[in-house]
This record gives sequence, structure tokens and C-alpha cells, in this order.
Amino acid sequence: MALPLVEPADAAGVAAELKRANGGKLAVTIRGAGTKQSWGAPAPHTDMVLSTLGLNAPVDHVAGDLVATAPAGASLDAVNDVLRRGRQWLPLDPPGSHLATIGGIVATNDSGPRRHRYGTPRDLIIGIEIALADGRIAHAGGRVVKNVAGYDLSKLLCGSLGSLAVITSATFKLAPLPQASSTLVASVGDLRSLGALALAIAGSPLTPTTIELQSPPHRLLIRFETSPKATEVQIAAASSLCTTHGAVTATLTGQEEADTWRAHELGMRGEMSNDTRTIVKLAVLPTDVGEILSRADAAATAQRIQYAAVGRAALGIIVVRLDGDPLAQAAVVSELRREAIARRGSAVLLAAPPDLHARLGAWGPGADTAPIMRAVKAQFDPRALLNRGREPWEAGRS
Amino acid sequence: MHKTFLNDLARAVGPGGLLQDPADLLTYESDGLPHLRATPAAVVLPQTTEEVQAIVRLCRRDGVPFVARGHGSGLSGGALPVADGIVIGLSRMNRILKVDIPNLRAVVEPGVTNLAITKQVAPFGCYYAPDPSSQIVCSIGGNIAENSGGAHCLKYGFTVHHVLGVEAVLPDGEIVHLGGAVLDTPGLDLLGVMVGSEGTLAVVTKATVRLLRRPEKVTTLLAGFASIDAAGEAVSAIIAGGIVPAAVEMMDRLTIDAAEAAVHPNFPKTDAVLIVELDGQESEVDELFAIVESLCRTCGAITMEVAKDQAQRERIWKGRKAAFAAMGRVSPNYYVQDGVVPRTRLPEVLRRIRALEERSGLRIGNVFHAGDGNLHPLICYDESVPGQAEHAEQVASEILKYCVEAGGSITGEHGVGVDKKQSMPRMFSADDLDAMQLVRCAFDPTGICNPGKVFPTPRLCGEVPGPYRQHPLEQAGVAERF
Repeated sequence: MALPLVEPADAAGVAAELKRANGGKLAVTIRGAGTKQSWGAPAPHTDMVLSTLGLNAPVDHVAGDLVATAPAGASLDAVNDVLRRGRQWLPLDPPGSHLATIGGIVATNDSGPRRHRYGTPRDLIIGIEIALADGRIAHAGGRVVKNVAGYDLSKLLCGSLGSLAVITSATFKLAPLPQASSTLVASVGDLRSLGALALAIAGSPLTPTTIELQSPPHRLLIRFETSPKATEVQIAAASSLCTTHGAVTATLTGQEEADTWRAHELGMRGEMSNDTRTIVKLAVLPTDVGEILSRADAAATAQRIQYAAVGRAALGIIVVRLDGDPLAQAAVVSELRREAIARRGSAVLLAAPPDLHARLGAWGPGADTAPIMRAVKAQFDPRALLNRGREPWEAGRS
Repeated sequence: MHKTFLNDLARAVGPGGLLQDPADLLTYESDGLPHLRATPAAVVLPQTTEEVQAIVRLCRRDGVPFVARGHGSGLSGGALPVADGIVIGLSRMNRILKVDIPNLRAVVEPGVTNLAITKQVAPFGCYYAPDPSSQIVCSIGGNIAENSGGAHCLKYGFTVHHVLGVEAVLPDGEIVHLGGAVLDTPGLDLLGVMVGSEGTLAVVTKATVRLLRRPEKVTTLLAGFASIDAAGEAVSAIIAGGIVPAAVEMMDRLTIDAAEAAVHPNFPKTDAVLIVELDGQESEVDELFAIVESLCRTCGAITMEVAKDQAQRERIWKGRKAAFAAMGRVSPNYYVQDGVVPRTRLPEVLRRIRALEERSGLRIGNVFHAGDGNLHPLICYDESVPGQAEHAEQVASEILKYCVEAGGSITGEHGVGVDKKQSMPRMFSADDLDAMQLVRCAFDPTGICNPGKVFPTPRLCGEVPGPYRQHPLEQAGVAERF
């Protein structure tokens, strides 16, 4: 039987639904476009689904202030279509941005290759409106970039996976649209060289918007988006730096560049995949990227399963996709988690076959912060009704 | 204060770590907001995380409020002691523990000054980006408490964007690690809310900060304009041109004169000056700088000086960063606020401030981060004239009202502290403030961690199991039960 679904048209409507759920002790699953429902632990039980897609008020864009307020239910692409008219944009490029909603992107703190330059939603958000579990509406931050009045709840909500409140709208600082773009594709022979090259580019005076890795084949997509002349000069300098590191380079512009990034985005969109694949996000120090990628490659080869990786090479964020025998996938994930943790990092499941999820847990071992996170959850949602079971901190069992 | 508590404190910090002599306590009576004063019962000066933990555990055991303090340069009374409470001074925890250049990270103790990090990593071509004007003296712990910015946060963001992790002692005495050297630590972003919480959630004992590579080129322009309006138009034109400078600062005649008298930066004798700094890759900076120059000219710049070298750039910045202190040259006392307005509303708000200046009879200087609308009105007064200090305070409060009415904020970088907590309801509803205090209740249910700051009315944190007991804040008459 399908679960009851509500789709309020505004924040007051969301608050009213939450108040009703709170009174009836109904567990609520919060849902935007549903592109990242696989993230975190699967919800154990729910009584109703609250869709944020009805939250679709017009985007409030003040170009002169480089800020905009967007409703939670609007897709990122729809928001950027509006901002583009003022030659600005919300500089986030997570996969599936034609569907993924503002609320969902904030709740997952998702981002893409341009995180290298612009950061994550957490770095761009300056204000938020939320509906609390008890049916009240609250705001934090505001509509100015510089603001230290009160606690910054907007950052707390970033990546909270709907466990604290329902995001109804968010305000962001924006960036001007770049005048020009070119991408340098630098191919190398092995993964350690890939890591070393990424560090060399990051350590140079160049200012790329991406240092994005792909493997296999092992290559970096180094993008420059600035004025036409500076783009050209930087591509030349980057190309020469890559060559001295033994990389083979090609420069992409126009349609060819757009197609390459489109293909890359499709490759990243693992969370929309079927139930047989595992998507694991590794976070390590930038200097460990080459090594952990080599381990992933070797482990997948040894287990005879398919492996592909993308990621922010100079930030230490790698998304690995595994496909093949589920037991073999579990073995690779376990090894990667061990390796990542040994390097003070983490390995988090963004999608996995159900038994692998059950066996390894989404988050890995708990930390000293688990009690205080539980305390925060208990304050915001004392009856544990919001996205029950999907809190982003429960210890896994690996 | 119980003798047992003090004896236990003395044991926790070792010889010389506990101050009780009234003369010693004087230093800690106020922070950078000198008109607010309170004498703490004692000051402790721990040297390790474990000592901080031991102190906080004792406070928890005996219900003694504590206030963590860095170097006391805060401008909102955030480190104002609580009478009958203690101050935990972190100035002895001032070591840079680790520098990792390949990963662009440093691990520091809270008492390290902001500028000390940059000095330490400068030989490697790196720096720590947030640059509050007080960076020579202010501590990283204080920067984390206040989410400090600085002139360059227009492009580079605030402390919250540059602190990757902290070790902190919670009000219950537990040590936690939020974030870390590696990005995307699983879990709630408690670090994101702790930065800027003004010392009300925990005592930070270590911080992992992000370092940046020095940009290849920095170009600094000092332009003189006939009016603040003309300078403001230039700022709007630059932003509309799709350029995000590293910094855009504006000063008016009064602050220019004050800076000139104090540090002789040789600023033009105009009614407004604009400092515009671009940084980045050389060809990019050159191309964009030509546009900035042309926009300034179009908007009526009377003089334009481009810094030819580091010395000239430092001279320009010295004039700007000394502006607050320099007000002492033109006025016996001044009151500073740091309200923010949306950049597009700047002309209107500045006009209201000018009208207020005429009405109030107090001179108001203006030096501000024009790129992000962060005002710093300096209200000149003479405390020897009866009633003038209160008058200045009222004028400051009126300016904050203008900022909020224009859709801005009561504070862009100094924090709410004690100074502006009564203005919080202008910006936030009761439900907004209550939602923020849910976090407070999770971290500090008994209200012993820097109480009385940020929020106009403390929220009581649910019922304690067992028989009803009056909450300490109720006993003190500073809070009521919701």
C-alpha cells in the first residue's frame, strides 16, 4: 500500500503537516526529487511522506547584492535559469541538478567538480527557513553575506539529511557567470601520478575551478572559467605543467567541452543507479588520494569486480562506484573503509545493495561526537519523527 | 565561591595557573568593549586540553559559570566575565602544533594569534586568509567564537570557511573532535554552528585551519572620490561588472583625517576613499584591474594611486586598519557598531546616518567593508560630558535599526555578545531565537558556558528528571520557565 503523501505549497503548510504528524506521532519521510534517498541508512519505518516539491515560490534574486533566496522545492537548474538572466549563478554542480532540489542539495550538502573553487552548499548558504518538528517556523542567518547574529543554523542543516527539520527555503551568496571556459584533459599512466599531478596544479599559482579526477582511464579534468584571455593563458600554463609531470594533454572548448562534462556528470550520477551497485564516498587528505585510489583499483581487480572513480583530486574527495558480485563489493568497501580510517578519513555509503548496507553500515564506526549529535537531534525532534533512522552519524558495524 | 572549588581549581591548573588577587583580575574585567565590566571570582590559565577539561568538570560539578577568553580584543562583550563565575584564559595555550604544507593545513592552540599563523607559514608561500583588523593581537580561539572576517572575506569568506576541525571541551567536560584535517567528517556539521557561537557551546582547545597559497599577483588601488555616493557607485559598478575583488574598503572624510593624523598613510584629501584590491593569477588580475580602474574613473575618481610594491600596499592598509584606533586623535571617545546592509541599500542607509548625525549633534565617522555592506560607524563622544555616552549608545542602536530595516544584520563580525543581545529580537522572532537555543540546550543544558550572551532571554532546557528544582538561571532571576 502506498504511503500517505502530502505536498504543501508553502512553509506554513509544511509546518501544519509537521504539527499534525507530531500530534499523531507519525514518522515522516522528507522527500524532494528523491535523487539521494539512498544516502545514509535506509529508513526503518515511516508513516507518511512529506514532499517539498510544492515549495516553488519565485526565486528572489538581488543581482546587485550577489544573493538569492530559493524555495526548497525548486530544482537547482531551474534556480540557475533565473539567476542567469542577471549574469550570475549559484555555483554548485552536483549530479542530477536538473532534478535535484535546493532543499535536497542543502540537506545532503551535495556538490560536484566545482567544489574545488566554490565549496559546498555549506560554504554558500547565508540564511535558511525551516519548519520544526513541533510545527513552528524558524529562520537563521539572513540576506546579507556578512552576518554573525545568532547561531548559524543554516550550516547545521547542511548535510543533516532531514533529521532536524524540514528546509523550506534557503538564501545563498552567488557568483558572477564566467565569461569564458576551457578544460584541459591531462591523462597519466597510473593513479599515484594522478594524485601527484593534482597536488602540483593545486600548488601552482593557477586558479582552476575544477581539478576533477576520473579513473579508469586515469585523467584529470582541469577547468578554467574566467575572462577569455586569462582562461587562455592559464590553459597554456597548466598544459606545460602537466607535460613536465609526464601527462598527455588535450584542450577542450565549446561543444566538445560541454559533452565531456556531461558524460562526467552521468558517470557521477551513481545514486540513481539500481540495487546492485555500491557507491562509496571516500574522504582523505589530498596527499593520500593517489595511494587510496591505487588501493581501490587493486582491490577491485583482485575481487574481479568493476570499479570507477571520480572526485575532487586536490580536496581528497573521491566517489567510487563498484559493480559485480555483492560479496566481492563488500570486501572492497571494507578494505577501503579500513584504509580511509587509517588515514584519518572516512568511507560513507551513498548507495549499496541492501545486505551490504546492513552488513557494513552507511557511516562507519562512531566517533566521540555521537552523544552530542544525538542530543542535538533530541532537542530538534524529541519524538524522533523526522527521517527516522537516517541520521548521519549512527555507527556502522564494520 | 566555595573554598573547595577554588582549591580543586588550583590543583587542576598547577602553580601560577589560578588568579584571585583583585589586581590580577582587573585585566579580565572587560574585553575590547571597555564600558562593560564585571569582576570574575577567579581566573584560570590552563596550558593543556586536560587542564581545561578538569576545570570544566569542576564547574559542572559545582554549577559555576565559566567564560572562555582569548586575548580579550572582542568588541561585543562576548568575553565579559560573569560575576561569581570564572574566566578560563587561554593565552597560555599558544603553540602552533603542526604545519602540513602539502595538504595546506595547520593545527594550532586557541591562544595563537591570527597573524602568527601567517608568519609561521609565510616562508612556504602560504597564509591564513581571515584577516580581522585586530589580527596582530586577536586569538584563533576568539576568531572561532566570533566567526571573524576581515577586509578580504568578500572573496575568501570567514573563519567558518577556514577552520576544518576543532578539539573542544563540552560544558559536561567531555572532549570532542568536530571536523578534522580531512573534509566531510560523517555526521552533523556541529563545527559549522560552533564557529560563531560566541563561546556559548564549548571551549575550543585545538583548531585545524586551512592555509592558502599566496596569490601570484596582488594589485591595490587607492582612489579618492568627491563624495561617498560617488565611491559607492564605483563599488556597484565593479560588482555589476562580474568582478569579485579580494577587498573593497571605503572611508569617509572624518576617518581619513583621523588615520592621517595617527599613521600618516598619505591618503588623498577627498571626502571618500576607496581601497580596491584584486588578487589571483597574474593575467586574470591584470585584465580585471584595467576594468576596475576604468569603472572608478567613470564614477568620478579624483585621484588614483596603484601600489607599486609591498611597502606601498602596506602603507595603504595601515591607514585602513588603523582607522578605529585613530579615532582617538579626533575624539576623546567613540562607540563603534558593525551593522550590515545589503550593498544595494548602502546609499539610502548612509543618508539616514548623515541625517542622524545632524540631528544628534554627535559626529559619526564611517569606515566600512563596502563590498559586503558591512558598516563601521564610529560615533564620537566625550564621556566627560554628562549623558553623552548614553546618547552615543542610543545613536548606535538607531543605526542598527536602519540596518535591520534595510534587510541587513545587527552585526557583521563583532558578534552579539552582551552589547547587542537586546537588538536580537529586531532581526529574529521568538521562534527563531528558540530554535537557535535548541542547540544551546543540547550542548549546555545547565547554562554554565558563557551565560548571558547572544540571546536576550535564555531558554530553559526541558525538565530535569526527578523532583522539581529551580533552575540556577531562575534563582538568579535572569530567566523564566517557558
